[in-house]
Amino acid sequence: MKYVYYPGCTLYTKARSLDACARKAAERVGFELVEMPSWNCCGAIYNTASDDLAAQVGSVRNLAKASQLGDKLVTLCAACHNVLKRVDDRLNQPGNEVERNRLITFVDEKFERRVQVMHYLEVLKNDVGFDKVKEKVTRPLAGLKVASYYGCLMVRPKEVLQFDDPENPQVMDELMRALGAEPTKFDFKTECCGGYLVVNRRDVAKTASKRILDNARAWGAEAIVTTCPLCQYNLDKLRAGDSSIPVFYFTQLLGLATGLAPEELGFDCNSFDPVPFLESKGLLS
Amino acid sequence: MKSEVQGPKSETRNPKPRVGVFVCHCGINIAGTVKIPELVERVGKMPGVAVVKDYKYTCSDPGQQMIRDSVKNDQLDRVIVACCSPTLHETTFRNACAEAGLNPYLCEIANIREQCSWVTEDKDKATDKASGIIRTVLAQAENDQPLESIVVPINKRALVIGAGIAGIQAALDIANAGYEVVLVEKEPSIGGHMAQLSETFPTLDCSQCILTPRTVETGRHPKIKLLTYSEVESVSGYVGNFRVRIRQKARYVDFDACTGCGLCMEKCPGRAESSFERGMARRKAIYRLLPQAVPNRPVIDPKSCTYLTKGKCGVCAKICPTQAIRYDDKDTFVEEEVGAIVMATGYELFDATKLGAYGAGEVPDVIDGLAFERLLSASGPTSGEVKRPSDGKAPKRIVFVQCAGSRDSTQGMPYCSKICCMYTAKQAILYRHRVHDGEAVICYIDVRTPGKGFEEFYKRATDDGIQYLRGKVSKIFRQGDKVVVWAADTLAGRKVELEADMVVLATAVVANPDGVALARKLKTQIDTHGFMTEAHPKLRPVETLTAGFFLAGCGQGPKDIPETVAQASAAAAKVLAMFGSTRLTHSPTVAVVDEEICVGCGNCERTCTYDAVKVDEKRGIAVVNAALCEGCGACAMSCPSGAMNHKNFTKKAICEMADSF
Repeated sequence: MKYVYYPGCTLYTKARSLDACARKAAERVGFELVEMPSWNCCGAIYNTASDDLAAQVGSVRNLAKASQLGDKLVTLCAACHNVLKRVDDRLNQPGNEVERNRLITFVDEKFERRVQVMHYLEVLKNDVGFDKVKEKVTRPLAGLKVASYYGCLMVRPKEVLQFDDPENPQVMDELMRALGAEPTKFDFKTECCGGYLVVNRRDVAKTASKRILDNARAWGAEAIVTTCPLCQYNLDKLRAGDSSIPVFYFTQLLGLATGLAPEELGFDCNSFDPVPFLESKGLLS
Repeated sequence: MKSEVQGPKSETRNPKPRVGVFVCHCGINIAGTVKIPELVERVGKMPGVAVVKDYKYTCSDPGQQMIRDSVKNDQLDRVIVACCSPTLHETTFRNACAEAGLNPYLCEIANIREQCSWVTEDKDKATDKASGIIRTVLAQAENDQPLESIVVPINKRALVIGAGIAGIQAALDIANAGYEVVLVEKEPSIGGHMAQLSETFPTLDCSQCILTPRTVETGRHPKIKLLTYSEVESVSGYVGNFRVRIRQKARYVDFDACTGCGLCMEKCPGRAESSFERGMARRKAIYRLLPQAVPNRPVIDPKSCTYLTKGKCGVCAKICPTQAIRYDDKDTFVEEEVGAIVMATGYELFDATKLGAYGAGEVPDVIDGLAFERLLSASGPTSGEVKRPSDGKAPKRIVFVQCAGSRDSTQGMPYCSKICCMYTAKQAILYRHRVHDGEAVICYIDVRTPGKGFEEFYKRATDDGIQYLRGKVSKIFRQGDKVVVWAADTLAGRKVELEADMVVLATAVVANPDGVALARKLKTQIDTHGFMTEAHPKLRPVETLTAGFFLAGCGQGPKDIPETVAQASAAAAKVLAMFGSTRLTHSPTVAVVDEEICVGCGNCERTCTYDAVKVDEKRGIAVVNAALCEGCGACAMSCPSGAMNHKNFTKKAICEMADSF
């Protein structure tokens, strides 16, 4: 199975480990990510601007380009996924033809079809199947208690994202179970991590992140797993000083369980070094 | 005149009957839009129309008199009343015609109100349309044949499905009037959810104390045949003459031999979670729901009985002084014949675990309203002391969450469950009776108190120091041994975080899923939420569109105990009104088969939702059971050969109506 893949800017910089593990782990579980050439910004960073045109046109071009390459477009970054999915929805809403025609005039690329925007987790769940993933596990994450943190962008708005229950999502929990880990109960799966407030109100973001980590640890979690680079940054970096809990991308744990070498897992990107913890659990030997 | 109408043969000799058209103004409902004088003039020129008259309110006495007089004086043999929908006054005008000596089925309604004046703004267009509608009905009336009502006998026994307070009340009312009742209950004993409640609002009288006299009377009533631990499998037949097949689930206890001494329940080692106690206690494998159970006989749960699962134990059989244990008991079937059926299938609470943010099912101290009733009840798992499930401590602060799944079209049910405002106030009051220094906080959207004594009861709660916080709860989670509630205080305009020892969710009232499944099986109408639909929301509130089926209790919609009892008595009154006559009449406008054309393909049988058409295998033709047929016409539409027709709405008539428009 081959999928058109849209990494997005962060996966080339801060979230390299999210990207690298995803590509290699995909091969292990039986599909291939083919990066679309000359992709551009998804538009997420314009979302706060008063005119939302800029926030959309970028994704219109990405979607049009992807439609020339295949029928499924796979994303990893929660923000990119959210923007692409919402723009796709706006383009295809019945009764929204005027806006659609206005938007597509801004880009040179022509739409060949409607691409299905899929998150990597959806590929694993719906196309590959968690049973199949389980078969490919060579290093089960036995004894690892992990809390799955989804954040806001993956699940909302529910009608558009159609990802999972917006109040109590389960997809990553199921994946963790398939990898042999033990997903813990966790009340703050979708509470705000502080988001971009980390830029100008670091204290607010820190309070928000601390609350999430405290709740996870109260439920006995030893690690947190997420799919959003900004969430990972806030949870990992803001608490790096006094935290005892590593924050992984789900692809890092997927890679670990499917037998990638420790140096392929990009742990150097984590602020809080998870290697001693993983060694103590006997998961790197 | 009537004498001219002697059936089809005379019709062919006299193809153009004399038709009288009566145009109703309906005040300004019709006359405000349709130009009546112009309409009258145009109708008068239509071929076949002998007389046209108009009147301000035709349904009034003088209006009906005008029709009666005209039938006699103008020698009419067809009447068309151009007025409101036939669902309102068809019967009125047909009766008026009958009084004047005209066969009532020769009177037709042209609906120029709902289908014309109410939905058309332009006066000329409305007048055109009204004229067209009348011309169409004229074509139908010319095809009409005189018909006689179908008469069926009545079996004066009633079936009541569900023995909660609704079913009990309906059964007692019917039985006390002297008619036999078969009362079917799926649980081992009767009483329904009311048996689980502690005290009832707004008077705080003990639920069990007011219910038990009724359950005892029901159990001992000579006219009530009580079938507990039983479910209705199927119903065949028609109003007045139903055949009901009932499954009596294996009880493993001979109810005649058993004396209800309870020795077996003391000694039984098997355990299972008690659904009656909402999962907060365990019961024995041989059990009864409550000490006041009617009938006071235990049943064995085959899933938790070690003898029935593993073949070991047998303690109950050894200890039983009357040898009443029957390990080889099997499901049995009972056939009953009844004339009327009361559906009293009741409610369940919305599954709170579907509200992902509220922690139900994951946080042990988050429970629903019925579970809290059990904690308050003297016969409950804590003997009426309020102790929280996680560690048995008395909670010092309880947060009550109203509208958990009600008035919530995204995750729950869009409707208001009606009883939660009152029972939450009651639970908060009772909690403070039990735990004197306890603090009760109620998060609400609106407090709705439309009932006798309800507002006063709400005032009592607020005077009692119970805090009301207006705002929706967004999240509930565990923190240490506390439960944290995030809510909004929309009056103060701020976000609130409440630490509580326990949370009670007033979850939505939903139709009992077993009742919904049964309604689907019996083809009684249900709405999108599974509540059974009444025949008319205002004027026929306890009847259904299926003749002979009546409604009572929460299976029709959320309601409190007084309202349930009132509705149950109303349903019983309807049954008794039916039993008061010796025969039933049924509209003769039903399907009819032309036996010479029918090839017995069976399309009609498959189409019919009332089981009114069956193919006679021997003769190879379809046969209509006129008593069952509701005259919907679906079979006629599905008939490929044209053999099936609807009386007074034949294919020929429909074609002529279409042509005439």
